[in-house]
Amino acid sequence: MMPIDPTLFTIAAIVLWALGMLFFLIAGERKVIKFLAHGSYLAGILVLVVFTWMLWDMLGRPPMRTLGETRLWYAMFLPVVGYATYIRWDYKWILHYSGAMAILFLVINLIYPDNYDRDLMPALQSIWFVPHVIVYIFAYALLAAATIVAIKGLIIHYTGRMWSWNMQLADNLVYLGLGFLTLGLLFGALWGKEAWGHYWMWDPKETWAFLTWIGYLAYIHYRYHKPKQITTAMWVLAGAFIILLIAWFGVNYLPSAANSVHTYS
Amino acid sequence: MNKEIGTEDLLRTKDMSLNKPQLPRKKKPVWASPWGYAEGWLFVAGLLITGLALQLVSGGLSAQTLSWPVNLYVGLVFTGLIVLSWTFFRKNSLVNWLARVPAAVTSIAMITFLVLIMGFTLQEDAGNPVWVQKLGLSNMTSSWPFLFGMMFFMASLGMATMKRLTPMKGRNIGFFLNHAGLYIAIMAGLLGAADLQRVTMDLHEGEVVWGSVDRQGHYMDMPFAVELERFNMEEFNPKIAVITTNDGRIVPESISDMFEIEKGHHGNLIGWKVEILEYHKMSGRIDGRFEPVVDYGAPPSALVRVTDSHGQQLEGWITSGSFMYPHQLLQIDREHSVAMTIPQASHYSSDVVIYTPAGDLIETRIEVNHPASVNGWRLYQYSYDDRFGKWSSTSVIEAIRDPWLPVVYLGIFMLIFGSVYLMTLGKAPEKEEEPASGQNSSERIGDEKEATLNDSPADNPKRVNEPEPELAGV
Ligand code: HEM
Repeated sequence: MMPIDPTLFTIAAIVLWALGMLFFLIAGERKVIKFLAHGSYLAGILVLVVFTWMLWDMLGRPPMRTLGETRLWYAMFLPVVGYATYIRWDYKWILHYSGAMAILFLVINLIYPDNYDRDLMPALQSIWFVPHVIVYIFAYALLAAATIVAIKGLIIHYTGRMWSWNMQLADNLVYLGLGFLTLGLLFGALWGKEAWGHYWMWDPKETWAFLTWIGYLAYIHYRYHKPKQITTAMWVLAGAFIILLIAWFGVNYLPSAANSVHTYS
Repeated sequence: MNKEIGTEDLLRTKDMSLNKPQLPRKKKPVWASPWGYAEGWLFVAGLLITGLALQLVSGGLSAQTLSWPVNLYVGLVFTGLIVLSWTFFRKNSLVNWLARVPAAVTSIAMITFLVLIMGFTLQEDAGNPVWVQKLGLSNMTSSWPFLFGMMFFMASLGMATMKRLTPMKGRNIGFFLNHAGLYIAIMAGLLGAADLQRVTMDLHEGEVVWGSVDRQGHYMDMPFAVELERFNMEEFNPKIAVITTNDGRIVPESISDMFEIEKGHHGNLIGWKVEILEYHKMSGRIDGRFEPVVDYGAPPSALVRVTDSHGQQLEGWITSGSFMYPHQLLQIDREHSVAMTIPQASHYSSDVVIYTPAGDLIETRIEVNHPASVNGWRLYQYSYDDRFGKWSSTSVIEAIRDPWLPVVYLGIFMLIFGSVYLMTLGKAPEKEEEPASGQNSSERIGDEKEATLNDSPADNPKRVNEPEPELAGV
């Protein structure tokens, strides 16, 4: 029934990113391979953009309804964040980590194919739907990149290879990510007022969204106050990301979510 | 972020020359000024213990005790205390500490801890053990520990705002938007909860309704009346799925293959090729066939052709049925049938006339995501009689009054601008090669200096000279 085949696009994006990452690894100073690396990495992103656009068109609704669909956006934004970080600050390794994470998310989508045929329930049919979801997923992608910085720092710290790790990149990504996260939260509140009648109801999904937000808040304040206590800050960052993942995927499985209004599957 | 470098900063920068051996940190006794994290954790422990004790002794709180105008006074007194104590007692250990990060971080941690418990506990009494209920954990937002946590949090937030507000400086605008915005939004949200009214009105076509009921079932007269002219519903086309004939469950493997029924659509349902030859949105059964009809309760129907892996074909009519007519399946093997799912609502709305005591008459449509407003109330499409679906002649409207909403929105819009400010805070790390530290040369590790920010060290000159433990050992 699906006139477009998600598998084909997904595999194309995975292969292009994998190739791009490989070329980045082996390029050295060779111009041609460098060019191929950039081209291949960007082409992967482009393939997903085209696919998402076609999917949107075919479904006649924004493809943001299901967890699989949000994973699709995430897999699209993460390499964008990685590539932009690389271009802006020249951290090459972040290309590999964000590429690998994006591939992981696409592989999950291949293993658990989505039912793209889901209807969009009336409460989701709102002008807030698209900005709310896009801003959130973009924040998640930025914060995932920040987590990668923290985890790399932690590994280096505990394997004793290096005694200092610069957190400025993590800070930059968190400032951006927390900015978007705050926007997502507030758009959600404004939308909630229109759809459910109240801006905040401590629904389990909202509770976990709040926890995610306040976790990153703790991070920026701690960083501001104790800029040299890097290890603690990195642990806070890693912990906040675990809460983020629970907010995104885990909430549905928690006993506290037995009567959540956010029936998001 | 504070961009100027003060003398304290230079001090600190010098101190960070990493190769220099560091003196061991000298511990400040607890409760000696200036307070820091240790005092914060003790404060949190004290609040938690007191809160839990009060909870056990007196039970939880009720939002209603704070209704207008008590909530206004509480808000004014709390805020006034913060303003006054900052203005006159900013040298006081407690006041000074509340305005700094250690209090912010520990109060944030306390709220995180409480909300984390809330995130794992079903928030209603039923289904929770008695001790959870007794400690208020199943009703977190109206428990004493939560109240104390919020007061600590808001005191810290408010005091930090005051600190940056005096003296007022243009470069603090972003800080002000975030911190004052959050203070206003949370304060108005917490205090306004007592004045929030949510009631439902059951409307039946052609009846004028003045009354409503709240969540506890209490009847209330409304300052306006609503008459339902018509309830409207549009539906998505139904889906086709493979189900087990006996118990009518959708076969799980087929869920991702289900597709929308429409003439000409075809697809693969776990090995069976399925084509839709005919589809009627509303139909009636005539001699074993279905024909389009326009009638009360007429269900959708479809003629489908199923081909199995051996090429054998089967054709037949299916219908989801309706409250008036039974459903019909097409059996495809001993256990399985293809079936039509019940169509889902795509839109529903109520066309209503609203009458006000002033004699106004408002004709409007209330739809999900599009509430109507009248005399300080907002009217939301809430539900309908789902036994009848699109033939429902009743509609339930929720009426909500939230007089504090404008204040909450003021805070929210300040926060929206504040978050844009937050996005601009990042800075490029200084590029510097770090030879002989085992790093890949493509990784530019910025100078440590760059990460050093100003913790308003004027408040806390001693801390500036303290080495950080994980760097001290090098
Ligand atoms: C929307 C939420 C918040 C954001 C975006 C935010 C952001 C920031 C930022 C970026 C700073 C660094 C100073 C600056 O850039 O000017 C800061 C400082 C600070 N924040 Fe927050 N914050 C938020 C909520 C809070 C809360 C809830 C508290 C208290 C419970 C708090 C207390 C403080 C304190 C005490 C400082 C240090 C001020 C100083 O020493 O001058 N903030 N905040």
